Amino acid sequence: MAYIMLTLLIGMVLGVISVASNPSPYFAALGLVLVAGVGCVVLMGHGGSFLSLVLFLIYLGGMLVVFAYCVALAAEPYPEAWGEWSVLGSVLGYLLLVVGAGSWFWGGWYEGMWVPVDELIEFSVVAADSGGVALMYSLGGGLLVVSAWVLLLTLLVVLELTRGLARGALRAV
Amino acid sequence: MNPFILSILLLSLGLGTTLTFASSHWLLAWMGLEISTLAIIPLMSQHHHPRAVEATTKYFITQAAAAALILFASTTNAWITGQWDINFDLHFFPASMLTMALALKMGLAPVHFWLPEVLQGLDLTTGLILSTWQKLAPFILMCQIMPVNSSLITFLGVTSTLVGGWGGLNQTQLRKILAYSSIAHLGWMILVMQFNQQLALLALIIYIPMTFSTFMIFKTNSSTTVNTLAASWAKTPALTAITPMILLSLGGLPPLSGFMPKWMILQELTKQDIPLTASIAALSALLSLYFYLRVSYAMTLTISPNNLNATTPWRLQTTASTLPLAISATISAMLLPLAPATLALLSL
Repeated sequence: MAYIMLTLLIGMVLGVISVASNPSPYFAALGLVLVAGVGCVVLMGHGGSFLSLVLFLIYLGGMLVVFAYCVALAAEPYPEAWGEWSVLGSVLGYLLLVVGAGSWFWGGWYEGMWVPVDELIEFSVVAADSGGVALMYSLGGGLLVVSAWVLLLTLLVVLELTRGLARGALRAV
Repeated sequence: MNPFILSILLLSLGLGTTLTFASSHWLLAWMGLEISTLAIIPLMSQHHHPRAVEATTKYFITQAAAAALILFASTTNAWITGQWDINFDLHFFPASMLTMALALKMGLAPVHFWLPEVLQGLDLTTGLILSTWQKLAPFILMCQIMPVNSSLITFLGVTSTLVGGWGGLNQTQLRKILAYSSIAHLGWMILVMQFNQQLALLALIIYIPMTFSTFMIFKTNSSTTVNTLAASWAKTPALTAITPMILLSLGGLPPLSGFMPKWMILQELTKQDIPLTASIAALSALLSLYFYLRVSYAMTLTISPNNLNATTPWRLQTTASTLPLAISATISAMLLPLAPATLALLSL
């Protein structure tokens, strides 16, 4: 199990590098799909199956799809993938950074080395993720209202920022 | 802007900072910071011209990165210590990450690079909100995580005062001058925060009226460069006489109020047995003083009986209220004799 988790975490770091190395947005979105997918499996491995499902649905199925449509509006004839030297340089740089960070944290566990530890599963009465959602709707009343307000605020902010038909990088579809 | 949207955005701005002030859980504090970032974004780009949009984009990216780092640090701290409470001491590694994240939020050196450019792209009112209100929430979080990695905090503080001084020396644009002034003042606040949070709060409380007055004076004169300030004698002679007091108060000259925080901070640093840091900070304040002096010279010391530098413009009666500027200018220039009372109020 530890090997599976290790493989998944390595996959996640590689996915993050593939996004951060600044390719064209199409390929960055692909990298994001990889990161989110692998992250969801890591989450499932720690017992957060509900949260993983919600993440898949909302993040990948909602936000990333909208992002992909927006990216399609800003299409370019020659998108830069990870084979181009400009992106490959960033990839190699970030790989070096990861190796460096790994060697920095190598060794003592007490200093913050992050080994997958799922020791809390045996000690929990309620599953942490779905129990947390239930708690937010019952005891966490104020926070629920604040969260709903923030979502409405985000909508208003986006609408205010894109008010008017076409301006600069904005375009009426 | 539509008045309903404007009021929703301003109230949400207040909500964000209030949430961060009232929270004892790191997630709620992070939420408050994100709310204030979100709410100010349309305010910054309301004029929709490319410079403002550029400033908004830069602000959003830096603040989002800082907020993500705050979330990462608090989650790491929860992982290591099992605690989400702000009152409990942080483990050293997430504490350092959080310090750097909050430094990026506030605009401390060496992560200050976004502040002059963002402030330059905004109109004076939004710049005022950015310089004063948006500093409150990260400042209060920074106060609550003290004491943390002393060398990091001292490094942030001294670098900020030096960068604020040197960076502002070559500026002719008033908003950039005020940005570097903000960096320098925040450096002073951070420097003393690890020893005495009340003095840091004093520095903030004195800094806000001073900056408010300066922005309001520049707005009254509709000037954004030092050159255009030179015509202010013809528009508002009273303000032309008062502004040097405000600017020199920003520079920390006695007998003006700006001297109070610097004096108390230097005293505290000496009591903590780091006179070298105190000396470096005091000398860097000299750099800032030079450009405040230059602005006051250009505005006030070139008036009659020197040669006239501008023809008189139309002086129409303004409908804007002059009360806020009157109050804040009085506070910025005349609060020093009330220093014992101010300090006593702050030890609550």
